[in-house]
Amino acid sequence: MSSATEQNQADQGAGGPQLDHPVREIGHDEYDPIGTLTLIMLYFLLLAFLWVFMYFVEFLGNDPTVIGWIGTGVGMA
Amino acid sequence: MSDATVNDAAKTTESTTSEPLGETYLDKFPAEAKVVRSALYSSFLALALGGLFGVIQTLHRTDFLRIMESETYYTVLTAHGVFLVIAFTIFFLVGVFTWAVTTSLDREVEDIRFTWAWLGTMTAGAAMAAAAILAGFTDSLDMSADVLFTFYAPMQAHPLFYLGLTVFVVGTWMAGADWFRSWFAWKKENPGERIPLPTFMVLTTMIMWYVATLGVATAILAFLLPWSLGLIDSVNPTLTRTLFWFFGHPVVYFWLMPAYMMWYVLLPKLSGGKLFSDPLARVVFVLFLLLSTPVGIHHQYLDPGISEGFKFIAMTNTMFLLLPSLLTAFTVVASMEHGARQRGGTGRIGWLKALPWRDPVFAGMALAGLMFAAGGFSGMINAGMNINYLVHNTLWVPGHFHLTVGTAVALTFMAASYWFIPQLTGKKLWNRPVALVQVVLWFVGMTFMANAMHRAGLLGMPRRTAEPQYDGFEYEAGVGSVAELDAQIALGGIILTLSLVLFFAVIIGTVLGSRSDEVPANGYADTLSGPEDSPKILDNLKLWFGLAVVLVIIAYTFPLLSIIERGGLFGPDITAFPQSIDIVSMAWLTVEQYATDTFTSATEVAQATIDGVLR
Repeated sequence: MSSATEQNQADQGAGGPQLDHPVREIGHDEYDPIGTLTLIMLYFLLLAFLWVFMYFVEFLGNDPTVIGWIGTGVGMA
Repeated sequence: MSDATVNDAAKTTESTTSEPLGETYLDKFPAEAKVVRSALYSSFLALALGGLFGVIQTLHRTDFLRIMESETYYTVLTAHGVFLVIAFTIFFLVGVFTWAVTTSLDREVEDIRFTWAWLGTMTAGAAMAAAAILAGFTDSLDMSADVLFTFYAPMQAHPLFYLGLTVFVVGTWMAGADWFRSWFAWKKENPGERIPLPTFMVLTTMIMWYVATLGVATAILAFLLPWSLGLIDSVNPTLTRTLFWFFGHPVVYFWLMPAYMMWYVLLPKLSGGKLFSDPLARVVFVLFLLLSTPVGIHHQYLDPGISEGFKFIAMTNTMFLLLPSLLTAFTVVASMEHGARQRGGTGRIGWLKALPWRDPVFAGMALAGLMFAAGGFSGMINAGMNINYLVHNTLWVPGHFHLTVGTAVALTFMAASYWFIPQLTGKKLWNRPVALVQVVLWFVGMTFMANAMHRAGLLGMPRRTAEPQYDGFEYEAGVGSVAELDAQIALGGIILTLSLVLFFAVIIGTVLGSRSDEVPANGYADTLSGPEDSPKILDNLKLWFGLAVVLVIIAYTFPLLSIIERGGLFGPDITAFPQSIDIVSMAWLTVEQYATDTFTSATEVAQATIDGVLR
């Protein structure tokens, strides 16, 4: 487990993020998976939204489809 | 753990791959490479046949092209199911697991003859079951196995089908024994060392498999096989179904675990990074070992004869089972992000652009993972007892498992094949752009098909039906129409078939090519946080095995006892299907019944008359 961040000078500037091999080494201690957190939060938000949506449409609306107009599903029309 | 790919003389070439070149699996383990290659080729044959039957039934069901009678639909559906989810997945698994054990323990198998013996046993079993299924296409043989993958009684298959499945499963047991033997030998030479992660994954998965297959082995050996041979007259369908699902849920993890293994040990490397956490990966596999089996009853929420309380326990266990999949989502995405950032990626979302999307192996696995996230949602719907009632036995369910086993597993396996076949043949992948188009086509085709299947299920359209259209009844589609859903399903099926054709083109092209020294070195991802960071108890396989057995006993003893108490060990006297109907005896029975009824009513009339007279 290395905590050193090594910049590979030779690789820099040769296409930026499109490079086929690492431009730097990120060790355990410097790595902060903020992008993963972002994606997982998005997934959870999506799940929560779908769950709530399902509850309204399938139970309160008593209508066996989630693909009609929401208003119909939740008994507003 | 040292990265086995690290090779002093390693060099990279941007034209082919970012991975270092070097010693391939074939160079290091030529004898084992042959076995793994044979296992993979067997799985590809099953994939080709299963895929063919898939498109035939898709076009039949949606009424775009009907080249067979609807009665034959179930032969096709059985072949599609069994060839894909038993033969394709498990042959691939044994190939990958052999690679994983030999590579991570860095040792040959103990006795290559035994390795060939289990592969031969599995092949013989698969051939027997396949022969019984395919015989259903001809009337000249008195043999069929149109019982679908789930082989529910009272549907009955020819004994060869049950026997074939048994032999196949025995082959997998022998394979597991082979890998355990390697591990025991390695442990003796390396006392006190942590089990290398890929071997750990193989061993935990196999313990789960040994526990799970006890259910199906009992169902087949004690009931279905003797029943099909005429040794016993009847079976208890609820009992055999429950024993099937005892095995039927863990089997989905048996398909999934090699895909997870690829995501944990190959994907981080392909992303240009390291596995985020070895301990977390171990926790995930332990949780699957513990929780996969005591949940099978969640497939039987609508089965009468099992009390709601047992179903509720199964649901609770199922919800716990979401945990290891969500842990996997975190670990795998974090590992990919590590790779992306090492490749120069930045931002909260922007790092995704730095991933090697042009590499078919990476792209296929990443897209498979994305589909799995969608399958996760429909799986949560299936898992809830009350919501399950809305979608049970509808096309929603095939929609769900085409995302999970049909994409998360199948697409990962196809993408992984683009890495494995060069390893096993020493030949360069035939055509990377075609391979890339292939994995993307699978993703697109499945998006059409699975999405439309989910929606059709919400309309109440049933699964396992050749002609899901009924006279005097119309499904009410809130948005779009049934014709539009059918069109999407058929379009998806055709795109998937095209994708399969390309897959075989790439594989055949690669195999027919000549040896190359531009093949990446064999190996797997290094870790950011290694086994030294995880508690030693995680490697205590005896403990996890014991706990898994205890959980199974808790979850299954009472339901099974209650089913036997209610329906008997061999059930109410059920009649097998298909069966030959004896017209004469049927006619006699009818006359007898009619006579009895007449006599009874005459007696009642007489009794009433006498009563009246006496009054």
